[in-house]
Amino acid sequence: MSIRLLKYAFIEDWAEPRFFNTPNELSDSYDVVVIGAGGHGLATAYYLARDHGITNVAVLDQSYIGGGNTGRNTTIIRSNYLTEEGVKFYDQSVDLFKSLSEELDLNIFYSERGHFTLAHSDATLRTARWRAEVNKHYGVDSEVVGPDEILKVCPQIQLDCGGNHEILGALYHAPGAVARHDAVAWGYARRASEAGIEIHQHTKVTAIDTEGDRVIGVTTPRGKVKAGAVVSAVAGFTPTLLSMVGLTSPIEIFPLQACVTEPIKPWLDTIIVSGSLHLYISQSSRGEMVMGASLDPMELHSRRSTFEFVSNLSDQLLDMFPFLSQVNVNRQWAGMADMTPDFAPVMGTTPVRGFYVDAGWGTWGFKATPISGKTMAATVANGRDDDLITGFNLARFGDYELVGEKGAAAIGH
Amino acid sequence: MKYIDFPNLGCRPSTEFVVAGIVDPEPTELNDTSPGEWVFNRDSLPMRRTEWWYHTPTQLWFLVERDTASDEIFDVSLAGDTMDG
Repeated sequence: MSIRLLKYAFIEDWAEPRFFNTPNELSDSYDVVVIGAGGHGLATAYYLARDHGITNVAVLDQSYIGGGNTGRNTTIIRSNYLTEEGVKFYDQSVDLFKSLSEELDLNIFYSERGHFTLAHSDATLRTARWRAEVNKHYGVDSEVVGPDEILKVCPQIQLDCGGNHEILGALYHAPGAVARHDAVAWGYARRASEAGIEIHQHTKVTAIDTEGDRVIGVTTPRGKVKAGAVVSAVAGFTPTLLSMVGLTSPIEIFPLQACVTEPIKPWLDTIIVSGSLHLYISQSSRGEMVMGASLDPMELHSRRSTFEFVSNLSDQLLDMFPFLSQVNVNRQWAGMADMTPDFAPVMGTTPVRGFYVDAGWGTWGFKATPISGKTMAATVANGRDDDLITGFNLARFGDYELVGEKGAAAIGH
Repeated sequence: MKYIDFPNLGCRPSTEFVVAGIVDPEPTELNDTSPGEWVFNRDSLPMRRTEWWYHTPTQLWFLVERDTASDEIFDVSLAGDTMDG
């Protein structure tokens, strides 16, 4: 035991302050109420205070902070997207992530690993080239590499993948990284809390109150709260929240599952993704293999996990890394993903004045945490969509202005 | 593996099916703004609803009543039996 820890055993007043405030009472009114204390919601609150001086803010969550998809993703951060909107947006997110440990004064264990998106067919290789060119055009480090370069970085990989899905090449994205997702949520919570923002856990919003076309507050089991603006940042529950203000969206909820193995010696220092084999894998700093596959095949509002997921994933995984056959899966879990038809998020203003959405984060939300918070805060503060997110507005579907990001989705769909 | 009892097929694993979403009939009138909304917007709420299910091996379409909160299946019928076409 470290002396630092031992010291605390003899001190009556705990020297380390709590990470964030847990006020007992809800105020009658706030300038902004953020629904959802995940990474996105807490980041929005933090940037509202830091960039816009708005601190009369409450972040409400039906459960505990970071307990939704913030704590259920596989923590991959990258910006090798396919569209102009996507590449610009995620590139700024990666930049913010790089300095986030200093910004939050908390080590988020940001670790650049390099990110391979494997191509098993000419068609995938063509998309990889397309993505590489789009990325390079916007200054993002991406290139198409051949099997030899993959083997150099990851000598354990079986290039023939059991004979059916030979690896022909990959899109290599050097800035691809992983980070501790809980630290991101807790770091933002602490900073927001220091600025005077209130975080109310176990406070479920049961109704959003409107007057005419304007939002005026929210109702919770702890009472009614007036609000000048309401931000919905509730991955997996967005349709339910939208229905409270009479809005519909193309968002559909599908479970996304993931699992980790027991810790093993470090052998994989890069991130490997195969859309065709429905597989992505990286090794955590604890040595666990962190793995995911594709979305569950049908809509479901539940976080149950299934045996089929692990068995299908293992089937594909062992074609690529046969030596993992003796490694045990320790834990598996599921999150509810907000899927959109164009695989891009839904962000910004809505037809209800003062009601803002940060949603549609499907299977790509964690990597966007800092930039979503920053742009949503700017959107709320200025009452209009931030320039970086105008392409992601909910109105794009009615106008047939879709973003078309499916080709860059890592997770099979 | 989840097995479901289907008319004409018997008990089949759910992995043989493609779920094509909620049964959402075309509205009789579409004004200027609603086509895009009808095409894309969904009521993805936890609820009991009827869905299109396609059985890949036999190319048969079914209507399945399912609860999207509990994943419980209540009623299964061959699509041609209950709807035109």
